[in-house]
Amino acid sequence: MIDLKIPIETSTLANGLRVVISPDRTAPIATVGVYYNIGFRLEPRGRSGFAHLFEHMMFQGSANAGKMVHIRLINSSGGVLNGSTHYDVTNYYESVPSNALERVLWLEADRMRALKVDDENLRNQRDVVKEEVRVNVLNQPYGGFPWLDLPPVAYRNWANAHNFYGDFADLDAATLADVQAFFRTYYAPSNAVLLMLGDVQPEEGFLLAQRHFGSIPAGPPAPLADVSEAPQISERTGVVEEKFGALPALAIGFPAPVRLTPDWYAAAMLDQALHGGRAGRVYRRLVLEKQIAVDAEGGIHYPVGDLFDYNGPTLMVTRIMHKPEHSAEETLAEYQNVLDEVKQKGIGEGELEQLKIKFRSDYFSMLEGGHGSYIPRYGLMHCMACFTLFDNEPRLVNTVLRGFLEVTPAAVQAVAQKYLVPAERSIVFRQPVAKVGA
Amino acid sequence: MAITPDVELSPNIPALGPERPVVWPLQSRAKLANGLEIALVESHTIPKFNGQLFFRSGNAAATAASTPGLAGITASVLRTGTAKRASQEIEEALRGMGADLSSGSSADTSVISFAGLADHREPLLQLVAELATQASFPEAEFERERRQLLEGLRIERTTPGFLAGERMRQVLFGKHPYATVAPSEAQVESYRLPQLSQFYRQNYCPANALLVLVGDFNAAEMRAQVERAFSAWQGAAPAAAADPALPEIHGRRVHLVHLPGAVQAQITVGNRAITRQSPDWQRATLANAIYGGAFHSRLVLNIREQKGYTYSPRSALHALRQHGFFTVSAAVRGEVVAATLSEMFYELDRIRALPVSEEELADARNYLAGLFSLGLGTQDGIAGQLASVLLEKLPDDYLETYRARIRVLTAEDVLEAARRYFDSANAQIVVVGDRAHVEAQAALFGPMDVVDAQGAAL
Repeated sequence: MIDLKIPIETSTLANGLRVVISPDRTAPIATVGVYYNIGFRLEPRGRSGFAHLFEHMMFQGSANAGKMVHIRLINSSGGVLNGSTHYDVTNYYESVPSNALERVLWLEADRMRALKVDDENLRNQRDVVKEEVRVNVLNQPYGGFPWLDLPPVAYRNWANAHNFYGDFADLDAATLADVQAFFRTYYAPSNAVLLMLGDVQPEEGFLLAQRHFGSIPAGPPAPLADVSEAPQISERTGVVEEKFGALPALAIGFPAPVRLTPDWYAAAMLDQALHGGRAGRVYRRLVLEKQIAVDAEGGIHYPVGDLFDYNGPTLMVTRIMHKPEHSAEETLAEYQNVLDEVKQKGIGEGELEQLKIKFRSDYFSMLEGGHGSYIPRYGLMHCMACFTLFDNEPRLVNTVLRGFLEVTPAAVQAVAQKYLVPAERSIVFRQPVAKVGA
Repeated sequence: MAITPDVELSPNIPALGPERPVVWPLQSRAKLANGLEIALVESHTIPKFNGQLFFRSGNAAATAASTPGLAGITASVLRTGTAKRASQEIEEALRGMGADLSSGSSADTSVISFAGLADHREPLLQLVAELATQASFPEAEFERERRQLLEGLRIERTTPGFLAGERMRQVLFGKHPYATVAPSEAQVESYRLPQLSQFYRQNYCPANALLVLVGDFNAAEMRAQVERAFSAWQGAAPAAAADPALPEIHGRRVHLVHLPGAVQAQITVGNRAITRQSPDWQRATLANAIYGGAFHSRLVLNIREQKGYTYSPRSALHALRQHGFFTVSAAVRGEVVAATLSEMFYELDRIRALPVSEEELADARNYLAGLFSLGLGTQDGIAGQLASVLLEKLPDDYLETYRARIRVLTAEDVLEAARRYFDSANAQIVVVGDRAHVEAQAALFGPMDVVDAQGAAL
């Protein structure tokens, strides 16, 4: 009853490429994804922002499809496409009318086989990426808060602590040789998974995968990177200037449990209790009752990911925008009261029951959509890809709910006591420098 | 290296297979005796359903009544109390049904949107009905929301994209209510609680409402549940919105919004265009897809992929109920403001002057037809398409025949639509940036006015 019955078929090609197919013929559309087990955590030192810059380069041309051909062929087939870089994975995906399925696979195989890019392409995309950083971070109120602000404070290992969007000097230093080396190191079939969802028959899908990807050389296995963090023994804090907005803000992070462990399931329920929207304890206390803050939200691996798409250290984060007449100390104290209550009194059966119903409901929505209305089943694809690359078992999407629904009130209280430890927290204060209307 | 859409293609590219027919799911529409319109579509992708209860009155109606933004705060406070339940009880009830609910307003509508588990649909519908008919507007919740709204507005007025959109609407719509996208801080300070309840009484009426439900249910059963939840509700529709005269616009003008410390310039070029009801809507949509409405469009090829001026250039047609407008926008580094505007106008003039090639035409038609099908893959996507047909009063078979109508459009259609609706000669140019870096370049494109983020002339 608790387990889902999403049909999932898997196969592995001789070169190590894993293939996952989830058929559903309701509508004549298909979503295809290729996920590589490389994210911005693993980019080379001195090359901050490189994994993301590289993602842009994957749209600049491959052996048989020159610059813009990939984009043109998907759009003119009636489809949409994009890519995104995460902590531990990078994805490339398309949703198309299903009669374009083979064309999409041909394009993805062509760029897995050989990138064909030049210095002009690199210069062009470096410029584009800099504008991306300006529009999303440098020229926005609270830009990058807290996803770029917290890691340098919370972590000591460069892999986790550096600027993931990239310092402009590092972006400028990137060369075409770096691009090809990164491609050879991390973009081999054995470091990837190909997913097909929607209107595709599994036998046909596996046949097409073999036809287009089967002859790509296996390549050397990707090196394992050390993303571990030494245990934290005292609170860490940092300050970042806010250039545009006038509201003080702060973000608090606590190291989160390792995925798929009993603590992780319980922490997900604790997270719902704290950050589950307007009924969540943090929003209710700080925004609705005490009215110290005007907004408060958070989550595990928030705000650039979720419970399922990380594979290494991450944080349970709370982001609070508070009123200037209430100090950061007062805000933090009230936040701490909320945590202390859970640590001391736990949460009730009734509350936990509601949290589980909401969690289950959110999980369905995440699988169906998760990325706007035009990439159907993006969430299912993303989840199956991460379970494949991290755990070698995409079918976990059907069974993982069980662990959350079996969490007890005692387990929630226990993880609150174990993980919400003041000495292990990291705090970033985003302090306005401007006066309103200046 | 020149990048043209006609670049040589590999002979190995797999051809498209035979198309499976795109069948729009069965719709069931009805009107209850009290005037509430309902539209239902079954979609069994996940064991959930979603709904939107629309009211055909939004911030334009509030602005026409000299209280800009009142529709928005009415919608926000609406969810914080009913005759039967306090705020916390509402939030906990929602959580216990696995439901999300939000309420808000746009220019022409106010809406309560909700989604929840299919097996909790009856209590969720009842809660929505309670919010729509018995909201209690608690004083303390109103004051809290007022402060949150004020702080939110202060942040929005430091956000380049918001400021560009706000200024463009002022420029294109003058004294028409569509000119106002958000209230001033002083206007928010002046709201009084009875104004909210009055807006609610006048506009949250069944004869002014549309309920769209899509999801994992049986349509006949759902219809009966809707009737149980909503049929006792009564109230006449408000008077139709006024449609004051629009400003006359002759020639290009530049409207600079000075944002001190900005490290980029947000550029938006625009002109008034058409509504969804226009017989030219699809022609204009196709022209827009070729100009700048798709990743593979001329604008993106030019200022992103060739020149690297910007990350996310785009053009779009925006349809409001009474009027529409067209915009071209990009956020660029300060040095290339003039260069970007030159390219935007070059591409506008090109698509107005020369017919598109058959190949480019076929690509764009196929893009729009395919994009439409992708919207059928999720409950959200179906609901969005259905709602726009009903709110804009489009023909009953609009969705079923959309793809066929796109596929017969010609290069002549594109040329004509571009000439009519991409008004290059009279385009209004909004630039949001630090005037020290952008003013001289922007001034090259027409007579210029400069305002600050609050709209005060500088």
